[in-house]
Amino acid sequence: MTEENSIPVDLLKFYRRSKYLFFVIITIGLTWLIFADLVDGNWGSLENSLENLSVFFHESLWPPEWKVLEAQAYPVCDRSLEIMCSPGYIGIVETLKIAFVATGFGFVLSLPIAVLASRNLYRDEVAIPFRLLLSAMRTLPSIIWAILFVIIIGLGPVAGVLAMTFYTIGYLGKLQYETIEGLSSEPLDAARAMGLKNSEVAIRVVIPECANNLISQILFMFEYNVRHGSVIGIVGAGGIGYYISTYLKFLQYDKVIALLIVLFIVVVIIDLLSIKARSYFVDDATFKPPSLFGNIFKGK
Amino acid sequence: MSSMKSVIHAKDLKIGYSEKAVLGIIEKLEIQQGEIVSIIGESGIGKTTFLKTIANLVKPIEGILETFEEDVVTVRGRVGFIPQKLGLIKHETVFANVMEGAICNESIWRSITGFHEKKTIATVQEAIEQMNLSDKINETVKRLSGGQQRRVAIARTIAQKPRLILADEFLSELDDNTADNVWNTMHDYVKADSITLVIVEHNVSRAKSAQRCFSMQNQDTLEYATLTEVE
Repeated sequence: MTEENSIPVDLLKFYRRSKYLFFVIITIGLTWLIFADLVDGNWGSLENSLENLSVFFHESLWPPEWKVLEAQAYPVCDRSLEIMCSPGYIGIVETLKIAFVATGFGFVLSLPIAVLASRNLYRDEVAIPFRLLLSAMRTLPSIIWAILFVIIIGLGPVAGVLAMTFYTIGYLGKLQYETIEGLSSEPLDAARAMGLKNSEVAIRVVIPECANNLISQILFMFEYNVRHGSVIGIVGAGGIGYYISTYLKFLQYDKVIALLIVLFIVVVIIDLLSIKARSYFVDDATFKPPSLFGNIFKGK
Repeated sequence: MSSMKSVIHAKDLKIGYSEKAVLGIIEKLEIQQGEIVSIIGESGIGKTTFLKTIANLVKPIEGILETFEEDVVTVRGRVGFIPQKLGLIKHETVFANVMEGAICNESIWRSITGFHEKKTIATVQEAIEQMNLSDKINETVKRLSGGQQRRVAIARTIAQKPRLILADEFLSELDDNTADNVWNTMHDYVKADSITLVIVEHNVSRAKSAQRCFSMQNQDTLEYATLTEVE
């Protein structure tokens, strides 16, 4: 007698139909249990949380202090537009510069490492150490890299660039080697049978074949680095985060929220532009790039 | 003793991906320079693995396999391999794909940097012209039809100037007329330059039009396939 026959048929059918429901219930249950363990019986700390948030929002955060977009008293503004001397403008431009340079350096350095870490190009003896290197670089979040570089070379945007570059290498490298390993084996087989060396296969076959995905990943990484500009600045690595950190120290939360709104707007604009740019690199030749404002409403 | 050089010599050759999964045993096979040989057989029987073994992409499990009278090794430019789905770089132009074959006759430095010799560029243009693809030279491969893509794969092989071509069911997705045209083009090219061609082909009548035709099949009593010549 088979195991299936020993279970009532209705129960088996119910299980087959509802196995996803079971999975969801078990996941939620498990999550709640772990959360309860973390709270450790101290549920009282959550009781007034919404009220606290409301008080903090109305008394400290709102309305935003838009003076962050006005020129600072010192040094004297010598630019044509006053906004160009404001902490908001200076901070966001520096963040964009840091993110741009870090993404560029990160891409140039991560690509050769990703090629060497690809198991469809190199033997495990070569690929695994490079994977470990990428994994190690990814393990440290960008803020830890920033602290490290601030200690090594001092406060300022150069520390920010180096911190983001190192994190970008780890993160982008992983995306890149996964893309390379997803390539069809046939172009590689054809090239290897011809007798081409791995370096030639990488440059002449792998990179052109993955180019669309690689470009898409650069755009994604640039967005990511701009978002993280606010974090690394907190430890003195330059960008808008430096100003956010300063205002936080002086409890000027209305200025912090104003800067966060500026950052949010810039990130949304970059996101829209990069979705638009990425759409030109999708594989489907018949794909029609979406309109810019269509992105907001259609999500593509 | 024959004046023709041996291009493929196999004896008691065991092919497959591991000792536990032997796909076939080739007791004896001798293919001479300039011969056009076809292999027929059911899907999954090991024809592709056999071609990949000859191309040194898969290691033989056991037995003797020699190409060009030496143990099978990869020599730059000597073997051209056309996989079932052609192995073209879909996002690149026709020119770049054909150049991939031609760089076998250049130094690695030139290949990597892209500073190609004039004669290499001329070879590429010639191969493209030979395949009647001059008007598509800057077209991306993915925008070409199936027949055109196959001609690009042949042009890549022509530019490579190999002594042995291994083609794996590369006509399978074409209609009969286009497949016959591509087959005739390939046939004429290898005949003219006395190149050895081993092609895996599903179409029996086309396969039998080769000089020699082999069948790869499972014997009732054996767990692996064997190769026998079809008279």
